[in-house]
Amino acid sequence: MIEVRGLKKSIRNGTTTVEILKHIDLLIPAGQFVAIMGASGSGKSTLLGLLAGLDSPTEGEVLIDGTEISHLPEDKLAEVRGRKVGFVFQSFQLIPTLTALENVLLPHELNGSSDGRPGDGRAAAADLLRSVGLADRMHHYPIQLSGGEQQRVALARAFILKPPIIFADEPTGNLDSENGAHILDLLLQRNRASGATLVLVTHDAQVSSHADRRIVLRDGTIVEDQMQRPA
Amino acid sequence: MATNAKPSLTWASATKIAWREVRASRTKFLFVILSVAIGVAALTGVRGFSDSFQTTLLGEARTIMAADLSARMFRQPTEDEEKELNAMAAHGIQRTEVTDTVSMVSSPGDPVPLLVSLKAVDPRRYPFYGTVDLAPAGDLRQVLTDATVVVAEDLLIRLHTQVGASLKIGDSTFRIAGILVREPDRLSSGMGLGPRVMKTQSALEKSGLLQQGSRSGERFLFKLSPNSGSIAKVRARLEQVLPDAQVTDFRESNPALTDGLKRSTGLLSLICLVAMVLGAIGVAMAMRAHLQQRIEVLAIMKSIGARSSDILRIYLLQTVLLGLVGGLVGVLFGLGVEWIFPALLGQLVPVQADLRLPWHSALAGLGTGILTTVLFCLPPLLQIRTVRPNLVLRRMVEEPSAEKNLWVRLREGKAQWITAVVILLGLGAIAAALSDSVVVGRWFAAALCALLAVILGVAALTLRLVRAFLARTRLHLRSSIRHGLANLYRPGNQSAAVLAALGVGVMLILTVFLMQHGVLGEMRATSGPDLPNVFLVDISSRELDGVKHLLAQQPAVQGDLETLPSVAGRIISVDGTPADGLKLKNYPRRLLQTVSLTWSQALPVGSTMVAGSWWDNYDTQSLAVTERLAQRLNLHLGSRLVLTSNGRTIQATVSALIRHDGQHVFSRSEFILTPKALAGLPVVWYGAVHVDPRQVGTVQRALFNSYPTVTVINIADVIETIQKVVQQITVVVRFLAGFSILSGVVILASSIASTHFRRVREVVVLKTLGAKRNHIAVVFSVEFIVLGLLAGLVGVIFANLLSRVLLHRLDVAFHVEWMATAVALVGTAVLATVTGWAASFRILGQKPLQVLREE
Repeated sequence: MIEVRGLKKSIRNGTTTVEILKHIDLLIPAGQFVAIMGASGSGKSTLLGLLAGLDSPTEGEVLIDGTEISHLPEDKLAEVRGRKVGFVFQSFQLIPTLTALENVLLPHELNGSSDGRPGDGRAAAADLLRSVGLADRMHHYPIQLSGGEQQRVALARAFILKPPIIFADEPTGNLDSENGAHILDLLLQRNRASGATLVLVTHDAQVSSHADRRIVLRDGTIVEDQMQRPA
Repeated sequence: MATNAKPSLTWASATKIAWREVRASRTKFLFVILSVAIGVAALTGVRGFSDSFQTTLLGEARTIMAADLSARMFRQPTEDEEKELNAMAAHGIQRTEVTDTVSMVSSPGDPVPLLVSLKAVDPRRYPFYGTVDLAPAGDLRQVLTDATVVVAEDLLIRLHTQVGASLKIGDSTFRIAGILVREPDRLSSGMGLGPRVMKTQSALEKSGLLQQGSRSGERFLFKLSPNSGSIAKVRARLEQVLPDAQVTDFRESNPALTDGLKRSTGLLSLICLVAMVLGAIGVAMAMRAHLQQRIEVLAIMKSIGARSSDILRIYLLQTVLLGLVGGLVGVLFGLGVEWIFPALLGQLVPVQADLRLPWHSALAGLGTGILTTVLFCLPPLLQIRTVRPNLVLRRMVEEPSAEKNLWVRLREGKAQWITAVVILLGLGAIAAALSDSVVVGRWFAAALCALLAVILGVAALTLRLVRAFLARTRLHLRSSIRHGLANLYRPGNQSAAVLAALGVGVMLILTVFLMQHGVLGEMRATSGPDLPNVFLVDISSRELDGVKHLLAQQPAVQGDLETLPSVAGRIISVDGTPADGLKLKNYPRRLLQTVSLTWSQALPVGSTMVAGSWWDNYDTQSLAVTERLAQRLNLHLGSRLVLTSNGRTIQATVSALIRHDGQHVFSRSEFILTPKALAGLPVVWYGAVHVDPRQVGTVQRALFNSYPTVTVINIADVIETIQKVVQQITVVVRFLAGFSILSGVVILASSIASTHFRRVREVVVLKTLGAKRNHIAVVFSVEFIVLGLLAGLVGVIFANLLSRVLLHRLDVAFHVEWMATAVALVGTAVLATVTGWAASFRILGQKPLQVLREE
């Protein structure tokens, strides 16, 4: 479960301070698929970053499964990100010097196998790549893959540690409709099959229509929070 | 939520990622490797060569004394002393005895006897270093027997005799077996009276010439072996064993040579340190640029759970790997340079350094390469910690930070401060370990610390000033100039880093130049081609003008005759203590009975003031003594001496302590008084003049014909040896300094070039907005020029300060080199602009979309 209390975020732009998020309160139960929408500059990506512990708020707090993460030391936050969260970016963000398989394997290597998962992450990574249709592209570098393929590698990387929460920042934004639909299918599959919470930022009404709940932001505040179907 | 500890990224995975990055950015890392390699190459080459070179030079210095150590005394050692000396021999210290005395000799066909300076040696051992050259050529061990002598050529001239003839010394007759052309320790054996005659020790003993109280001096020459301990230790032991002997070591045998060696060692050490730091700056700048480019990758890694320590591990491995590869390449290159040196130098100077494979230098170079690379890369590596994972979502994020006061910022930057201290300590340790010259090592590290602190201050101040200037003039400046200046302080720029790198680089390079200029200038002055190489002994006041006139007419004589008046005197008391009760330190008491007094109205040529001041025209009481004599007689400024000469009592107070350069006639003086104090006393003159070495014989004959009692001592060959060695030092120092300066310029140029990555995006944006090439050119040029001028200014100020301190410590005068300073200042601006452009020019020609797609 994700809980947000009185969240504020300001950034400094030259001599002026801009308030990006004004006062956000939010509760996302486990397993829910939430679509966050809003115009450019409304604060969607910032909110997502704060929920995922990629950034710290100016005020307020974010709790994941009851643990307050906003003010954790950096290494603890890294641990939370590694264990609880999978992240999918609009521009894929793969490590260019690692192959598809190695990119998927990386979270496993960073987080080790101390929690009882099988030590050999390689088999899991290969299975995941096969499941996203990249069985024959495992040893290719990101630059040798198409945009759709890169995003599927990024999905596999987000799934490798079976995180209970997946955050996705416009995951279909840089893809054509066919590839976009494929990626969305994979995310939904994950949400439904394994019960992972999915928080997705999008501009696309078609994409948001698949979500259980739709939140709309404007100028840093929530202006709409609507359940579309029961979680 | 459970947050139990977890293992970090394994070394294997970290190595894999590090290696992949190196492979992916080969060109960029090639530069890093080259930077390390150039630094290490210079270090290995300079250090290795410096080692070999010093060994050779010290060998040359030993030949001037013919030994490592010499102990001069006026009596035979006592039984106890003999026992101690024999005990020292057990530690591999060889000993031989040389006796200097005077005697009358005559030729059977010429009844007029001649006073000669007789030298008795044991040809089986003497000389320990150098050779005795004879004419006709021969080996001293075979030529000099108990029945033969070898003599100086002027003896043959004076006695109208020849090689093969007989020579009567005392009651014995010897055969003249050869002409003594060169004896290595001619300078150390003092200015005896009359021409030189050399015989064996055993023949001297048999002759019965050495009676109790005869005017003879004993010199014990010592040769050390590798297991005898350091020369300083052996010397201290000798001074203990022979308390009234004058002990000198080979380093004192010729001040010009040993000072030259000390100075060139200092300079070579500096060059080593400069090479090392310049290489490290190159690497740090490249690593910084590299990490800035990788910032998004770092953010991605953090966003998927990597801790800073995981990422640090990857880049630390990368740094060590680069340091290692660069170090190995550098060592190979350095060894190549070192082996090529003799080939290069062989054509310039006849004597070559004795080169040995410098394992020590190679390992030191490699270790230093890796260590400095890691040390200098720590600041950019530690910045990894500050990379925020949200960069994957938003490229430029600046947190509100203006409210934080200095203390908070200092506390938050604890790691950076600790790193700075670690770097400085590391650098100091490396400087101390590398530098053969403690003075240079210590001052270098101190200057570098001070400079870094000042540069950081200057960078911050400059950026504030530029900002304030822009705020006031914003609307009146051309947009391209305004933009260029604004570039200096935009967020995420590298002005401060480039300023620091360039400023330190300019300081180092200019310091090497100024030091080289100062040291070589001084060495030329103390071993110039017209320094005296012929000494004249025993010129009477009556003869002096005639001798001057005769020499002036000789075409082979260059310059005027330097003269030294000598009045025989005796020391009665010092500060009220009679001579017999004085506490002497390694000074034969007998010498107090026959001191040579001289006068001079001004500080003599070739002497420098160590303490006190010279007297004025009206003074009659002042006395100048050499620093070394002061130590031995326990004199200090203000010491009152009572002297006597020819029945006159002279009261004098020590007012100046001086040091001689060993090159001029006044170097033979120890007590210098005012002209009035010695007026009217009987005087003998010494003279020194420079004669064309090939014409010394001619001048000698001319002098003998007119002034047969004047003894000529020819040290042209010794002076030639010294000049040759100094010339070698000069060539080597020039070459190494040039190499170091050139590699420094290349590394600095590359450091500036490494900032071009950040310009790519900027050029693209400007072009997309419709900026023309000219506009962009002006923007960049303004930035480069201001950066270059600022760095140059700080660099030249510190270079002059550091050179001043170092030269002063090496006893070399410092003069501000305005030309070099101006060239360095303007040169830095030009270098910054040209290399900045060389790196950015290609970007200008690129189509915006091409770059944006790559992004």
